[in-house]
Amino acid sequence: MALFNSPARVFLSATALRLVLLVYGGWQDAHSPMKYTDIDYMVFTDAARYVSKGESPYARDTYRYTPLLAWMLLPTAWQSAAPWSTLTFAFGKALFALSDVLAGWLVVQLLVRCHHFPVERALRYVAAVWLWNPMVANISTRGSSEGLLGVLVAALLWATLTKKPILAGLILGLAVHFKIYPFIYGVSILWWWDAERDGSATASSGLLSKALGFITRSRVKFTAAALVSFVAFNFVMYLQYGQSFLHHTFFHHLTRIDHRHNFSPYSTLLYMSAAGGAETRFEALAFLPQLILAVVALPLVLAKKNLTTAMLAQTFTFVTFNKVCTSQYFLWYLILLPFYLPSSSLIRKPTLGISAAILWIAGQALWLHQGYSLEFLGLSSFVPGLFLAGLFFFAVNVWILGIIVRDGGESAGETTVALK
Amino acid sequence: MKRRITFIQRVDAGFDPEQAVLTASSLSVRNLDAAREDRITVGLDELPTELRTVLEQSHELHLRWASERPFGAVTPFSSRVSPGLHLNYTPLKSESSSEVLCKLLRTVVAPKSDAQHKDCSEQEESFITPPLLSTRFASSASLQYYTHLPSIQSLVEYIQSIFCAQSRADGPECHTWANALLSADSVDIDYDSISHALTVSGLWTSPPTGGWTEVFQKPASDADQIEFGLLGAEGGLEPEEIKMGGLLAVVGQDNKLKPTMFSFPSRHQPLTEPSSYTVSFASPTGLHPTMSISMPRSSLKRPIAPSDATCALHTYLTLPSVIFGDQYQLATTDPLFLESHNLVALRALAGEMDLEAPDWVVQRWGSTWLLELATPEAEDAANTPDPSNWTATIPLHLRYLPPSETGHRTAHVPWPVVFWACTTEDGTKMGVNPFDRTNLGWDGLFGPRTMFYQLQPVGDRLVEEIDVPVLRIEGGDSYFQGKYIEFGTCVAISLGFMWVLWRLVRVAWSSGVGNKRADAAHDKRE
Repeated sequence: MALFNSPARVFLSATALRLVLLVYGGWQDAHSPMKYTDIDYMVFTDAARYVSKGESPYARDTYRYTPLLAWMLLPTAWQSAAPWSTLTFAFGKALFALSDVLAGWLVVQLLVRCHHFPVERALRYVAAVWLWNPMVANISTRGSSEGLLGVLVAALLWATLTKKPILAGLILGLAVHFKIYPFIYGVSILWWWDAERDGSATASSGLLSKALGFITRSRVKFTAAALVSFVAFNFVMYLQYGQSFLHHTFFHHLTRIDHRHNFSPYSTLLYMSAAGGAETRFEALAFLPQLILAVVALPLVLAKKNLTTAMLAQTFTFVTFNKVCTSQYFLWYLILLPFYLPSSSLIRKPTLGISAAILWIAGQALWLHQGYSLEFLGLSSFVPGLFLAGLFFFAVNVWILGIIVRDGGESAGETTVALK
Repeated sequence: MKRRITFIQRVDAGFDPEQAVLTASSLSVRNLDAAREDRITVGLDELPTELRTVLEQSHELHLRWASERPFGAVTPFSSRVSPGLHLNYTPLKSESSSEVLCKLLRTVVAPKSDAQHKDCSEQEESFITPPLLSTRFASSASLQYYTHLPSIQSLVEYIQSIFCAQSRADGPECHTWANALLSADSVDIDYDSISHALTVSGLWTSPPTGGWTEVFQKPASDADQIEFGLLGAEGGLEPEEIKMGGLLAVVGQDNKLKPTMFSFPSRHQPLTEPSSYTVSFASPTGLHPTMSISMPRSSLKRPIAPSDATCALHTYLTLPSVIFGDQYQLATTDPLFLESHNLVALRALAGEMDLEAPDWVVQRWGSTWLLELATPEAEDAANTPDPSNWTATIPLHLRYLPPSETGHRTAHVPWPVVFWACTTEDGTKMGVNPFDRTNLGWDGLFGPRTMFYQLQPVGDRLVEEIDVPVLRIEGGDSYFQGKYIEFGTCVAISLGFMWVLWRLVRVAWSSGVGNKRADAAHDKRE
């Protein structure tokens, strides 16, 4: 298709799609009591309004994010006359949508430079999965901040594969400060970045020299930069907002009860045990399978073979084995999909790919049907409906995860590009 | 001890002088068709020690109970609260954390095994703090408690066993009087540290079958007194006034019933035209029930208040913790949202606002919401007699409740009160009204010169029951046992974990852990 010959056309159409959705969203908000804008965006903008008045963003209930987000959205708190207020209000959404497009651009760059894709092929995959994906455009234009995570992860990969350890570390620190989960990428990048990758291949055999050989210049730089940026961001925010920053951004996630129904296989168990009805405390160990796979096993086995596939598998594992799972979490691994899909057995064997897609969608549909019965019809569908639907969806995800792992072991990795 | 019995007759009710006969030692009424208020005032020193301990720590204590059976309003007793037990309390010392009030409350409420009932262990934990218009001239109490309470059986038992038995009031009269409260439409108990007196009033808006027939004996002690009034009420000369006339007597002192006529300004006013509302939840309620308040359009005429008064229709919701509003959703200024729900604005809110907590984590009893409601355009109401109802809707949400054997639990939501509030810049003080009633929860949210006109709730029962879906956990041999959920989750997660681990082992086996690019030829493969 001629469209994919030109990066400009692909990115312009992706931007146009988001612009249309932004304008439509503004129109729907102004003309219907059913709002296009996401509730979370109201939380962000309320928090930004508090900040503009010199107060803490945590004065807004359920603001559980870094103050950076509220600061970035300060323009939405500007007081102005009617037509301008609509524009300033949409500032954050425009920012999220722009991050989307930027993330897509970074992924295309990486596919071309590190995976040696022809531009046209790279554009085709990124457009299908990310840039033209209506779900992605919809989520960011409704005002969900997940798009920012996309650009941070894409930038992290870009800095890593173009061999800029300090920049990569700084981005990782920021990403973890923003949303804790990207810390899992730190492990794979660290393992991936060995001496050979730095171009100083030393074939040492002794145990001690192997251990010493692990400490390379790049690894040290990357780790130090990540720690510095993570600590610095948190320190600044702590100075500004004290305990409430720590509580809402980090500790809340440790103490939350998560009793509400969600896609996680743990959800029914968590509801039961939070209400005091469980005999064992099995769910207290829920972090073990999740972290053993995402932080230890997957990076160790896959990162050096194929960094992007390892990161995709890590994210997939983290989301699948998490104690809470909502649909916005699916966006976390979507940005990594264009690296994996082209060489995956899901594309090579269409029957496998189509079965995986059908099963994944069926798992969602089954769960959503039960969720609808509960939420809107008031039927007690927790057991067996939601419980089994959650386990089925989990099983489908684990099966797909197995395919990704197998592919990751077989596929070719990316090459790195030194800065010119 | 002082007792005041007031019978209020409707203007059209028949009265024969033979129906109320006063003698030197007693007063008897026979087949009297009237509403009745029976009020007892007791000094602090006349009370049993247990009760006195509680009251001595109180600056103010106001208990309001209303039946869930619908009842008509009777001037001058036209004010209402949502059915259930309301307690408005201000401790003498703001930091005094005492358990005695809670202990008393537990006796009076007689906690049920109901999982939603917020037991009172310490008032700081289970009470909420209502918003104050001004803390300097606080017109409402500082702490508020509410619980669903269909019957005041335990309160009556408490009065009989503690109050009647341990005080000078002991005697069959005390027990009869306390028993009669069981059939009352509403009961008020008031104490404040200025008067050092406890007042208990019962209100019956309609007589028992055949009318009131009773004999009131002159009290044995000279310190005690029984006042009797048989009155009728109508509008006064000024819109804020109520005029009352009829017969008064002090039993044992007066030798005949004295005719009387007096008028006074009243904050609670009747609506001159019949006006009613019903409350319902659209089915299915799901986890996000929407409360509908429906009123015939004819009910929505502005009350005949002073011409300079600003009048607005309000509703005051008393919501137990299981059901709550999203303060950010309801406080919106978005005209489209407000218009679609026929709301004007959220005026005041207090209590448990957590949007995420399940009910078993919430300690306070719930929340209160004052909303201003929209009314139809004036010309609409006047010109086109529209038979359809005017409905205001309030979107609410349910908290998760603990699992049950049936998969459901019932939430009891009392009907809110709906009223016009008319505020004047300057006006008369309402305190001179001998039938004044304050501390209703919602009245303190308005200025002291506001007049209230209540709409009448019409229905079989003024409490809505909502079916809350919960996790179904059964005992015995059923499949719905908790251990199956624990076991099932554990097995599923373990299998999933092993499967991914197995895949990883196979990859590592075939190519080694650290190795890169198993096959460089894959590089260009599609």
